[in-house]
Amino acid sequence: MKSVISTSGLGKSYRGRPALIDVFLEVPPGVIFGYLGPNGAGKTTTIRLLAGLLRPTAGRAEVLGLDTVRNREAVQERIGYLPGEFVAYPDLTGEQYLEYLANLRGGVDPSAAARLAKRLDLDLSQRIGTMSHGNRQKVGIVQACFHHPQVLILDEPTAGLDPLVQREFLALVREARQAGHTVFLSSHILSEVEAVADMVGILRQGRLVEVQSVAKLKAQALRRIDLTFEGPTPVERLRQVTGVREIHPNGSAVHLVVEGSTAELLEVAAPYRISSITTHEPDLEEIFLTYYGQG
Amino acid sequence: MTIVLRNVFTKSLRDARRGLIGWGISIVVLVLLEAALWPSVRNMAELQQFLENYPEALRKLFNLDQFATGTGFMNAELYSLLLPILFLVYAIGRGARAIAGEEETGTLDVLLVTRVSPVSLIVQQAAALAVAVAALGTVLFAAVMTWSPVFDLGIGVADAAGGSLALVLLGIEYGWLALAFGAAAGRRAAAVSVAAALAIAAYVLYAAGALVDAIEPWQPLSPFHQAIDGGPLGAGLPAGYAWMAVGAVVFVLAALPVFNRRDIAAR
Repeated sequence: MKSVISTSGLGKSYRGRPALIDVFLEVPPGVIFGYLGPNGAGKTTTIRLLAGLLRPTAGRAEVLGLDTVRNREAVQERIGYLPGEFVAYPDLTGEQYLEYLANLRGGVDPSAAARLAKRLDLDLSQRIGTMSHGNRQKVGIVQACFHHPQVLILDEPTAGLDPLVQREFLALVREARQAGHTVFLSSHILSEVEAVADMVGILRQGRLVEVQSVAKLKAQALRRIDLTFEGPTPVERLRQVTGVREIHPNGSAVHLVVEGSTAELLEVAAPYRISSITTHEPDLEEIFLTYYGQG
Repeated sequence: MTIVLRNVFTKSLRDARRGLIGWGISIVVLVLLEAALWPSVRNMAELQQFLENYPEALRKLFNLDQFATGTGFMNAELYSLLLPILFLVYAIGRGARAIAGEEETGTLDVLLVTRVSPVSLIVQQAAALAVAVAALGTVLFAAVMTWSPVFDLGIGVADAAGGSLALVLLGIEYGWLALAFGAAAGRRAAAVSVAAALAIAAYVLYAAGALVDAIEPWQPLSPFHQAIDGGPLGAGLPAGYAWMAVGAVVFVLAALPVFNRRDIAAR
């Protein structure tokens, strides 16, 4: 299937200083893509290149098969975009601002903004200048989503949102995926990407160091398991199982760190009468650390 | 749906309305105060003699030979310096804000990621600025037409219209220059500085041309000269007005390809 977002050798330098280097990226349709990296890794640069606000100094980027330089206007018309530092006109109410943008876009369902605002618990009659940071961010999310774009490009969308609103936002993102749309969102907070993304790209010092499905990343990841036995603990036997990286006996319990599947471990341990199993789902935080931990 | 938020042009005019009310009131009051002085100036016994004692350069610069008529009085007192400055300050401020201001505050990003192209953005903002400056010129015209009969200044409709037109064109030229530079460079303060510096340079050229014979041939190059030479009240429709319009258009056209191709700065 043809990629919705595609970059080849994409690079951007500011006055000779590289901010993004040789990025090859393919995002298939109907996918939520999490773009991860610490601040300054080049996430915002990538997103602004995709939105047609910057021109690449190397390589090229395509959105929906359209070149972001040559077909910039067509790209900008078709995407929903939330900048990393979203700012709206402080003297307008939320309603006026969204009406203005709806007019600039054209063909926006007039009730869509109100419906989204309600879901995000946002009062649109308030002037934007008097809104809290979180509420302004909600206005930004509404303007990115209210025309149901085929591609959503969101730079740190959950910044400043309280957890309840975050959950509602993630629901919106999933609905967009269900409608066959593609979502590209950046974050430096892994748990929120993990909760929603199908694929992640990990960016480090301007280079894309990994692109992987979340499921695969998790499969490769280190899993932590606590096994409690009714009888004596078979520590030596468990140590020989492939994939077991660490083993820490603790009374009748054993704490293990396993890489990949736990099938073999459980097969070996089962005859020793396990009274309880506690598993800790690996999170991207740990996966992430292995990328950045390498130095 | 309100009409004022339909596009960048109408939104920009909406943003201008409050400032226009303030500037408009100032102009009406200014014209009133100046016009109210006229009866006592006219009745000064030795006005002509008093004026002849002025240095020749000043008499030239402010067209003081015409000072004894209501039109000449207003030309010297308001249209030669004070009103041009007001129109320039207003237009340059708005021009610099139109694009560079939006970029610096961070509202430009979302604006461009719609159907609005950079070229259309400049054109709409330039049009809105022209309308706003023209509105200010209309207020000036109305004020002069109102106070002239009250204080017996004897300024005709065509003269008052020509005076407003001169200032509107001068304002648009430098307002569009500020807009164009702001669009090309993305910095509001720099746009204000460059436009203001070039306006001052134009005035210096105009003034120097009046004082120094060797510079006089260059004087017509100055937009100030184009705007206020021989008037502007009572100057008719000099060819210089067309040059101001041409200059304004050239600035905007020069900015289009630059803004269209450059990076938009993140906030």
